[in-house]
Amino acid sequence: MRRVALLATVLTTLLALSGCGSDDPDPDSGSGSTDSGRIEVTFEGDEAPEVQRVPVAVGEKVEIVIKSDQPGELHVHSDPEEELDYEEGTTTLTVTIDQPGVVDIERHEPEALVLQLEVS
Amino acid sequence: MEGWDLLAHGLGGPADLPIPPELAIAGAVAALVVSFTILAVAWRSPRYDAATSGRPAPAWLAGVVDHPAYGVALRVVGLLGFGWFCLAAVLGRDLLTNPVFGMFYVWWWVGLVPASVLLGPVWKTISPVRSLNAGFARLTGSDPDRGLVDYPDRLGHWPAAVGLYAFVWIELVYPFSTELGPVRLWVAAYVAAMLLGGAVFGSTFYERADPFEVYSSLCAKLSPWGRRDGDLVVRSPLANLDTVTPRAGLVAVVGVLFGSTAFDSFRDSLEWIRFTQASTVSTVLLDNLALLAFCAGVTLLLAGGAAATGVGPDVRRRELPNLLAHSIVPIIVGYIVAHYVNYFVEVGWDTLVLASDPLSNGANWLGTGDLDRITWLSSHPTFLASLKVVAVVIGHVVAAVAAHDRAVRILPRHHQVTGQLPMLAVMVCFTAGGLYLLFAA
Repeated sequence: MRRVALLATVLTTLLALSGCGSDDPDPDSGSGSTDSGRIEVTFEGDEAPEVQRVPVAVGEKVEIVIKSDQPGELHVHSDPEEELDYEEGTTTLTVTIDQPGVVDIERHEPEALVLQLEVS
Repeated sequence: MEGWDLLAHGLGGPADLPIPPELAIAGAVAALVVSFTILAVAWRSPRYDAATSGRPAPAWLAGVVDHPAYGVALRVVGLLGFGWFCLAAVLGRDLLTNPVFGMFYVWWWVGLVPASVLLGPVWKTISPVRSLNAGFARLTGSDPDRGLVDYPDRLGHWPAAVGLYAFVWIELVYPFSTELGPVRLWVAAYVAAMLLGGAVFGSTFYERADPFEVYSSLCAKLSPWGRRDGDLVVRSPLANLDTVTPRAGLVAVVGVLFGSTAFDSFRDSLEWIRFTQASTVSTVLLDNLALLAFCAGVTLLLAGGAAATGVGPDVRRRELPNLLAHSIVPIIVGYIVAHYVNYFVEVGWDTLVLASDPLSNGANWLGTGDLDRITWLSSHPTFLASLKVVAVVIGHVVAAVAAHDRAVRILPRHHQVTGQLPMLAVMVCFTAGGLYLLFAA
């Protein structure tokens, strides 16, 4: 019984800790930034920047500026899905989403969610 | 495509937009107000009684439903569906366009709920494992209802709770949930366990231990269809819900169902994604711990809320959680509707399109391969958000009424009102928490 209680305490603490993050993204720590319709994401090595959630409008042409020290691929979980390549250096990718919803954009190798577009 | 789904992206493209905060707050306030109104004004002597509730169903309907041919036809439907699944699972290709994934995660898991709420205990009627068990019994000249030994009462619904957990684990936590091998293995293990259980314990095993039959039959208690002394009756869903038999482990079944759905919303929240990505501990381990914490947390809260009351001489306190667990079923169904309605319609429909080509060779065997997609709900996010909140609030109201009626039946008179408060508080927490997660996801 005491073991169960201990386990419950550990799990609850873990959950509580996980909920402690602030809602507002800290402008200094993220390596991404946005201004209307233009989103910057920086990849350094295998480090992934903190996930950003960016509100965009349905049908809006969203520019994603990737600065990376190696080439790679982004996977846009829209409907239908899209795969976009980026080069070493700066690449500007354009995405247009025609349907409301939250679209995940993931990087491949290494796997990481980098961006969510909140399309409404 | 190996590995790219490490984020357990699962099926379907974009997720639903979060519900607007004002809708979430309005829903939570409505739930709170309605709860206490029910407590203050509702009846003081129990209203629902399984022995007398319900009107006989129309004779023609009872005639059809009770006809042996009807039962056989439904079993054939179940076996055909299972056969189609096996065809795609064994001979199909390991692609996301294989209909196996949609059949497993959307038709079977999500579809079970609307089907049961509308039509009654669907899985019991079409379950291919029941049909196979009956087939084996016929071959060996034995009775499918009887096994080697009687099913122990102490086991109750515990095996079903474990089975449901195994399902939500592969759905929500296991990183390779959309690869063919693991899904095939999961289903094989399920079928093997069910056939073995049926052989040892007879059909009672399916009623109490088959995770899908337990889930389906619980949801069916919110349908208007019931049985009284074997006869088909039409009941109000509230009277029907009161006929749930409290068994050991029932509280764990509802805990896993609600906890896992809440976890599914929670894992999509930006905070959790950022936390797991920034953490040096593996995401899979953190997801595992969080799923366990959600299911265990909901179960413990529920058990605590039900047991925290004064009791009379004829009810033991430790029986209270299972005696009140049925009242959480409407909250689960309301939340499942909110969580899955758009996913079910869109991905369920896509699965019908894909099902026409089970071997991914361009075939269109069912003629459904060219159907247009359904995106109406996604295109009307305000309607979708309102529908979600309404479903959650209706679920909460039905739950509060069900718990009230059970409380006035089993609690001594001077604890009937105060004894309900802890359970009511737990329900308000579940509902408000569910709405918060729909807003925060």
